[in-house]
Amino acid sequence: MRPTLVVANGPAVFVTGGDGPRTSGPFLFAEDPSEAALRFESMGRAELPERLGPILREIPPTSRLLAVPPRLGRAISEWTGREVEAPTVQELRRGRSALPALDPEVERRFFLALGRLRLERALRAPEEVLITLAREEERVERSVGREARAAESFVVVPNSPAERHLPTWDRARQVLGELASELRRNLEDEARRLVPNLAAVVGPRTAARLVAAAGGVAPLARMPSARIQLLGSRRRPSPERGPRFGILYRADRVLDVPLGRRGAYARSLAALAAIAVRADASTHRLVSPGLVSRRDRRVEDLRRARP
Amino acid sequence: MRVGRAYRPADGSPRLLEVVHATRRELWTETVGELPPVYGERWSDAGGRKLRLFEPGRSKLAAAVAQGWSGDLPAPGERWLYLGAATGTTASHLADLLGVDGRLYAVERSVRPFARLLTLAERWPNLRPILADARDPTDYSSLVPPVDGLYADIAQPDQLDIVQRNAELFLRGEGSRFLLALKTASMGRHLSPPEHRRNAEASLREVAALAPSVSLEPFHKGHFMIGGRWGRSSSVPVRAGSTPTKPRVRHRGRRER
Repeated sequence: MRPTLVVANGPAVFVTGGDGPRTSGPFLFAEDPSEAALRFESMGRAELPERLGPILREIPPTSRLLAVPPRLGRAISEWTGREVEAPTVQELRRGRSALPALDPEVERRFFLALGRLRLERALRAPEEVLITLAREEERVERSVGREARAAESFVVVPNSPAERHLPTWDRARQVLGELASELRRNLEDEARRLVPNLAAVVGPRTAARLVAAAGGVAPLARMPSARIQLLGSRRRPSPERGPRFGILYRADRVLDVPLGRRGAYARSLAALAAIAVRADASTHRLVSPGLVSRRDRRVEDLRRARP
Repeated sequence: MRVGRAYRPADGSPRLLEVVHATRRELWTETVGELPPVYGERWSDAGGRKLRLFEPGRSKLAAAVAQGWSGDLPAPGERWLYLGAATGTTASHLADLLGVDGRLYAVERSVRPFARLLTLAERWPNLRPILADARDPTDYSSLVPPVDGLYADIAQPDQLDIVQRNAELFLRGEGSRFLLALKTASMGRHLSPPEHRRNAEASLREVAALAPSVSLEPFHKGHFMIGGRWGRSSSVPVRAGSTPTKPRVRHRGRRER
């Protein structure tokens, strides 16, 4: 006897194979696309279409029962009390080639709803919040600097038409400054929460920027320290005088090191940052006090051993 | 629109048009979505057909055509799976080639590019965006039906493996098409780009019949377009392929944000 395959296909579930009619379905998860997307994502016993029940009960106990994806299999197993297997690639290919096409408009609206749902869930992760904040903060910081420089070099004759908008511009700069400090405060809090060790070693804002540049805490933790050192640098590493800093140039205590020794400091700091972020990504132990004292000792050494 | 620009169908797809100038050739695709353009590209209206400029410097698929790709291109009405769609620059053009009756299932893993892909899909009727990792095809096997073709532009060290696993699960069968924009820089510097190309071709020849691959330089450094028909017993029909376009590389400038 051919095995019976229960397969979710976008907004609907189909039953195919077995001895019954070739394919039954589509059983829509829900009429409303957002509701269908929600049910598709969880796909527990409660989310399955009710109309599927009678069909499942008709499947003879001798027929092997297959389901895709695995969470659909678990839900059916819970519903019917039967053992549900995962199909092989061949069985899945054969089963799916028998499926009729869905209404294009239903399918399209389902995909858009599912995309929105997955996007929203992904963006809600603490890591993504930190990355979003870091990008925003960097952009706003840049425009604060640009406006400040523009204001410095702005000259105008009093009572001229060019002077009239000055009060509004002053207000805009002030609001922009407020936005920048608000963002920065938020960003630093998030960084201290998500990557406490890294934030202590290089400073919370630099820590956030490193995470954003790497695309997450785990990718940053996988990087060698040489890569962390040059993350965000604009020039290319080369056998000649390559870059020594990227994002790390804005780290804590860089400015305390004499100019000629900053490259050496960058190497040490990157090594400490690598240890810190690995602790943040895996063990979650507090290692920063030791790292910070090593960092400070290094700063003192570099200041004393001035060439 | 300037009068007198002579659009004519390009070789390989009825929805791909070309304008031949004295020294160079422009490629245009007939759009299925609504204007305004997707990423600031030029567009034009040729006797009621809305066209968008398909620039080799922006898209590896366009670069392949410009370099004389003689293998298959997506045909109207087909279903294709696109791995690594990013913000949808090339995906929008590939969807154009498929026409309104075709389907393009576009997989992208990164969150921010996907947000833009999703906005694009709202006005591109045949585009189906999926936020998922192409390394794990079972994750979206309940979203993508069997497809006629697979396009992959995934800059990963294991890009060949990813393509193979997706092809086995999603391609309709023997003779289904696939295109792979091979980025050799992601596969390590221990081999030169041509060596990577040879290795990739050798391993794909075991599972597919390959059309002659083309180098995408100077548009995309260290990239090759490899493609053909899936299945060892497939054969690749011979198409003349056009003569390579004289390259005109545009500097893309700094992108905003």
